[in-house]
Amino acid sequence: MNRLGMVGLRLLQILPTLVLIGVVAFVLVRLLPGDPVSNMLGDHATDATIARLQAQMGLDQPIWVQFLLFVRHAVQGDFGDSIAYHVPVARLIAERLPVTITLAALATLIAIGLAVPLAFISAVNADRWPDYLIRAVFQVGLSSPIFYVGLLLLTVFAAALRWFPVGGYGEGIGDHLYHLFLPAVALALSFSAVIMRSLRASILAVLTAEFVDFARSKGLSQRIILLRHVLRNALISTVTLIGLHMGSLLGGAVITESVFAVPGVGRLMVESIFARDYTVIQALTMALAVVVSLTFLATDLVQMWLDPRAAK
Amino acid sequence: MGEFSMRRSFLKTGIAALALTTAFAGLAGFAHAAERGGKMVYARYADSMELDPVWTDANVDIWVLTNIYGTLIEPTDDGVGLRPGLATKWETSADGKTVTLTLRSGVKFGDGTPMTADDVVWSLNRAKDPKQGAWSDLVASIDSVEAAGNIVTLHLKTADPTILAALATFNTAILPSKQFEATPGATPEEKAKNFAEHPNGTGPFMMTAWQRGVSMTLKRNPNYWKLAADGKPLPYLDELDFPIIPDDSTRLLKLKAGEIDGTEFIPYARVKELQADPKLRMELWPSTRVRYLGMYDGPTFKDGKPNPVSNVKVRQALNYAVNKDAVIAITTLGLGKPMRSFMSSTTPMFYGQDLYKYDPAKAKALLAEAGYPNGFETSIYALSGNGDDANDLATVQQMWAQVGVKLRIDLVDSPTRTAKYKAEDYAMRTAAWTNDISDPSEITSYFAYYPNIHSLHQQWQDKDVDALFLKSQQETDPKARAAEYKEIQEKYAASAPILFLYETPYPVAFRKQAKGFVQIPLGNNIFESAYIEK
Repeated sequence: MNRLGMVGLRLLQILPTLVLIGVVAFVLVRLLPGDPVSNMLGDHATDATIARLQAQMGLDQPIWVQFLLFVRHAVQGDFGDSIAYHVPVARLIAERLPVTITLAALATLIAIGLAVPLAFISAVNADRWPDYLIRAVFQVGLSSPIFYVGLLLLTVFAAALRWFPVGGYGEGIGDHLYHLFLPAVALALSFSAVIMRSLRASILAVLTAEFVDFARSKGLSQRIILLRHVLRNALISTVTLIGLHMGSLLGGAVITESVFAVPGVGRLMVESIFARDYTVIQALTMALAVVVSLTFLATDLVQMWLDPRAAK
Repeated sequence: MGEFSMRRSFLKTGIAALALTTAFAGLAGFAHAAERGGKMVYARYADSMELDPVWTDANVDIWVLTNIYGTLIEPTDDGVGLRPGLATKWETSADGKTVTLTLRSGVKFGDGTPMTADDVVWSLNRAKDPKQGAWSDLVASIDSVEAAGNIVTLHLKTADPTILAALATFNTAILPSKQFEATPGATPEEKAKNFAEHPNGTGPFMMTAWQRGVSMTLKRNPNYWKLAADGKPLPYLDELDFPIIPDDSTRLLKLKAGEIDGTEFIPYARVKELQADPKLRMELWPSTRVRYLGMYDGPTFKDGKPNPVSNVKVRQALNYAVNKDAVIAITTLGLGKPMRSFMSSTTPMFYGQDLYKYDPAKAKALLAEAGYPNGFETSIYALSGNGDDANDLATVQQMWAQVGVKLRIDLVDSPTRTAKYKAEDYAMRTAAWTNDISDPSEITSYFAYYPNIHSLHQQWQDKDVDALFLKSQQETDPKARAAEYKEIQEKYAASAPILFLYETPYPVAFRKQAKGFVQIPLGNNIFESAYIEK
């Protein structure tokens, strides 16, 4: 099958995934204890008031009626209004999803930028002091909680040195990237440790392969061997790892966005769960499923480019 | 014990600081050297949800609404008294059943449309409509409203001592009726939602941009009626920005870096640090917030097991067993003060008593009398990740253990705790209350008057208290009403349906140059006199 056909098929496969995730999200949020109306009104409400507001939102209907209504609107592309914010869910997500995607992409770039050269230095110097030092530092990065790293970065580079703003998102693309740099670093640290370790192991494995010996015997320079032959082969498994890690990167974005006051979907998701904002949780879960599925697809395409055997 | 006595000195300095700051904050309201123009950035911990006075649900809306929508009467800055708003004067008839208000002339909405008596009649009818929003009970006594010229008359079903306070509360704010009715929407709720996208009120500011959960921008209302001390119109600021920054530490870092001018909900543990910062000003505004532990008081739990706490002696014992000063010192670092009634000391008709001074021996004796000489086991729903809950409960748990009461702490999220509370399926829960109206009736109807919500869903009932409350609701003589409230508070305190803990102020902080903000005990954030010194 040609690549275009493969992409089309994979895109079609996302549809049943989405339907399944939509159903699960719909049911799960309603299985959580509590409901959005009582939660909003807190202690200052009578049962009659709560019941009346629930009826106005259609939350008093049996769950299957609510589900049918949800499906009927969803197929028309209408995911309803946020229960808490009273604006269309689509608008909330459209405002915020690009922020999180930019943050995740920036974090991935930083993570790769840190991990690839250091993995090389580490592998080439395997079991000597540069290797120990790099692995020790990444071990710290891997085991530090994101919120702590985030606060540390804010305190040092934003509040004390004033190199960066203390959280927020700014105006305009350049300003957005400037604001997102520190949160992306916080998010990238543990991610880069994961990439570094995997890549180091692959490089070590590839370095002992016969084709590398062959390249050396042909008299190719160390630089060409490493960049053209070793890196390309070692990257195959690492690319898969990066793709699969997208989910946990979005999970990490939840915390990073809160600490750095970044208006992304991670923060929106947490707030919506605490508010039992059913409509937002449902639609956002599906939107994130699309993002993760597309990342997997992109991962596969990159892999095919690196290793044409994968296309077969 | 050494640990407690050390912390007690903390408590004293805390209270002294509170008193000083309060005095200072009062003065700041006069703002004699105020400067006009500029922008103030005030970071909030959470965003508003719906900016409609009737459909609003929560404090995040209520606390900023009056910057946009004006009311006929306004609460004074101390939250207890009333001052003219869109009405210049008002009069209640001798039988208390008619209220006549004179409207201020020349009042305009933000878009320049003049406010009319029809707008007032329409807005009050909307506020009292039980089909719209959650707050109609506050004006349930209004039978009809009529207007003649600039005089608006309210005919009440019965005399209602709370009606004037209700006219100073957010839900009776005045909206432009014609513009509202012309807003697209099939139902009143949809119209409200669409109208609130571009709210148009008589308040000092107009909301011009709002990205939900991210930031809100308010611009100066050029048509605002109120004048500053210099005879020129308020507000001073051209623009007011509310960025939303949920993380406490980040808000404070932004304040210290000078990226924002002020922020709310300063963690108690950081107050001293900010007080010592020469570039900042810590403000502690007196509040109506009371912090207590709710206790289910019914004879049996949902699973049929008997409830020791249904015995009044057990409830009193639990109260005697807790050293409130220690809890205050540990959780609020001395910024709180013990509750002296179920209502805060800032609530009108508050009657304070010294409640259950720490006495573990007495607690043990009461438990023995009640048939629990070795104590009992109980559990409490608390919020996971909430520092106040963790601190309060760690302290209470230890002290109750001294008298044999074993407390299990169940950490849940807020909707779960609310669901258990509403279903009356709990033993205890952490809780706090803030008044919405400058009158004791709201808190009393929830805490003490059984028919409303079974006294905080606790199944506590005192028929005398119910009768006294109903009587007080139609009492036109303030002295007699105060006497009724004294009796209600005495009976409630004696029966100890809750674990009384403490009151806390609202902790907010500003850069030195940002001045004139007022937060009244109900929580309303008032920016009409706020300004930035250049």
